[in-house]
Amino acid sequence: MKTIRKALALVLALCIVLSLAACSTGSEDPDPTKAPDPTKAPDAAQSEPVNEPAGNDLTANLTLATYPVGKMTDEATVKALIADFNAVYPNVKIDLVYLDYSNGDQTVNGMIEANNAPDLIFEGPERLVANWGAKGYLVDLKDLLPAGTYDVTVGSCTNAEGAMYELPVCQTAHCMGINKDLFTQADAMQYINEDTHTWKSTADFLKAVEAVAAIHPNVGVVFCGGQGGDQGNRALVTNMYGGQYTNPEFTRYTGNCAENVKALQALVDVNGIEFDPGIAGSEEIQLFCNGTLAMATCWNVGAAKSDTQGKTANFEIFPMAFPTESGDPVLQGGIWGFGIFNNGDETKIEAAKAFAKFMTEDEAQYKKIVEATGYWATRDVSGLYEGDEIMTEYGKLVPFMGPYYQITLGWPEARTAWWNALQRIGNGGDVQTELDAFVAEANAAAEAAEAG
Amino acid sequence: MAKSKPGSMSRALVRRETIAGYLFLLPSLVFFLTFVVYPMVMCVVTSLTNATMTASGTSDFIGLKNYIDLFQDKTFLKALLNTVIIVVVSVPTVCVFSLWVGARIYNMKNWACSAFRVIFYLPVVTGSVAVTVVWKWIYHYYNGVLNYVGTNLGLWEKNINWLGDSKFALGCIILILFTTSVGQPIVLYVSALGNVDQTLVEAAQVDGATDLQVFWQVKWPQIMPTTLYILVITTINSFQCFALIQLLTSGGPEHATDTVMYYIYYSAFTLYKYGYANAMGVVLALCIAALSAVQFKLAKSES
Repeated sequence: MKTIRKALALVLALCIVLSLAACSTGSEDPDPTKAPDPTKAPDAAQSEPVNEPAGNDLTANLTLATYPVGKMTDEATVKALIADFNAVYPNVKIDLVYLDYSNGDQTVNGMIEANNAPDLIFEGPERLVANWGAKGYLVDLKDLLPAGTYDVTVGSCTNAEGAMYELPVCQTAHCMGINKDLFTQADAMQYINEDTHTWKSTADFLKAVEAVAAIHPNVGVVFCGGQGGDQGNRALVTNMYGGQYTNPEFTRYTGNCAENVKALQALVDVNGIEFDPGIAGSEEIQLFCNGTLAMATCWNVGAAKSDTQGKTANFEIFPMAFPTESGDPVLQGGIWGFGIFNNGDETKIEAAKAFAKFMTEDEAQYKKIVEATGYWATRDVSGLYEGDEIMTEYGKLVPFMGPYYQITLGWPEARTAWWNALQRIGNGGDVQTELDAFVAEANAAAEAAEAG
Repeated sequence: MAKSKPGSMSRALVRRETIAGYLFLLPSLVFFLTFVVYPMVMCVVTSLTNATMTASGTSDFIGLKNYIDLFQDKTFLKALLNTVIIVVVSVPTVCVFSLWVGARIYNMKNWACSAFRVIFYLPVVTGSVAVTVVWKWIYHYYNGVLNYVGTNLGLWEKNINWLGDSKFALGCIILILFTTSVGQPIVLYVSALGNVDQTLVEAAQVDGATDLQVFWQVKWPQIMPTTLYILVITTINSFQCFALIQLLTSGGPEHATDTVMYYIYYSAFTLYKYGYANAMGVVLALCIAALSAVQFKLAKSES
């Protein structure tokens, strides 16, 4: 009896151990170039991993990760695009991972570190070219580039060695938005060229702020609670007196130039603008749309068309370029497109390239994806947004798009150093000293990145 | 049939029971080794390298350089100081407040005691993100309830940027941490005070002890193990303050709310300095271990 009990106990113990072993995923190959296990991909539990040679009958399981660029994280929109692709490539299954800008990078980095990187990703050059591309995770997509893509766009998606880590799909110009009702009430529209959506001069911009401040407590903010939306405050500062943020080669940071110092000092001094370390870009948009602020520097056509942002405003939002002395604004561009991770599986890369090519080559399909993003095409396309008043109005700002310097090395550190410097300036720090500190920190990061 | 010696029988039995014991222990041991010991060892090993995010996945051994750099990094030192402030302020206040509330409510009627426990425990069971979002709106510079009440009551003239002003930000974080930390200690104290030996209390009262004397001389020694547990748990939670910072201030303004945990996250997942972040993790673990050991020592000597 005792023997039976002991045997039973041993069998039970073994069962526990074996069931635990069965639950574990087994040993992992730490080689980052190894293809990820498709069964680990989100929503892919029921998919069969298939890896057959590429060709007309392309067969693969892919993961597509998208950031919220227009409706690129909207399930119905993205699935409709995939359905178009599957009509031609029925054996390529695509699972989706939706990302956001608050922790999307961390999600992707976690996937990379777990040897489970997405095969396709939809984002912009600061992540695709300057980050994951520079670290060697992405494949060169030059061979997919459609004819007629604007040169400036191609340049922004290509690194110094000529590798193109982003296949551009859409672009926009980040701008300002003003509460036209309030500006009219304050008689501040006189400082604006309404036809071109530009300020008559930087001095006029400051006068407009003062005029609105006389009737409204909060005109605008230099938000510096984080990096989100920082293209807005960077563009504001660099445009006011023609300053630069980086050198033209995008290798070093030059944000401590005299023009930027003058601009920030003017923003410190003007009545109506506050430095707010409590908020970042998304909160600024929210405060603008609910009427708390009279203008937003983190604005673009996407925000204007958003059901939760621009469309909630009960006043007329008037898009504006950033103020300049020269009358020639330089707007920060946003360029989004596909990147393809090299997961070590040629079939998957082939299938991912087929997807990216399918979406961008054929004009009809290309128009669909561009419309899904809500931004503009990266090459001439006929009939896009015909009759769309908002797109027509905001389209006037697109020619002001400037160089895409967000691919400068050390960008993550530089962004943090920038909003930290703005916080110190807002709290009474000397502008030149703080900008010098920002540049020193950012350039140290650039040098470290350059040294590898 | 020859009988076995009693001693050898006992040894065989002990051996068999030991083997059986270890077999039953094995599943937990596997988990413990895989998810606790192995990451800890890897954390220490990685902290001695310049590990970062690269396709090659390689890193070089750099000895104690990360540790040396840490103590020359002003942001880390500021984060360490902030963390210490949070611990020093939060731990005693949480313990004292919990003890006070526990002592006031433990002998109330059942329904009243339960109601208080629910009220104080609610922030604990509510998700930290939800709690933080509510606090964010309370502190909001432009439309926050706190500013609305304060300015309308004339307590301050114009809106205060609670989370955007380095004078107030850390205090605001500590207040939120306080509200989310007191729930569990109160429940534990209510339970511990309810289990105090009433015969000793009555004997002390018969001997003419005052309420205060009864509390400190009779009840306090009996709830000391609970106090020790609360001290250690609150200390660890305070050291690991992260979600509040991530959701409310990102360490700002001017690093006023940077904590070591947040800086670890920032270094690892924004700057990809895995080796450096691991070195910080090791330092944090040592700090927590040292402080917990001191608390154990003090509590033991007191009891």
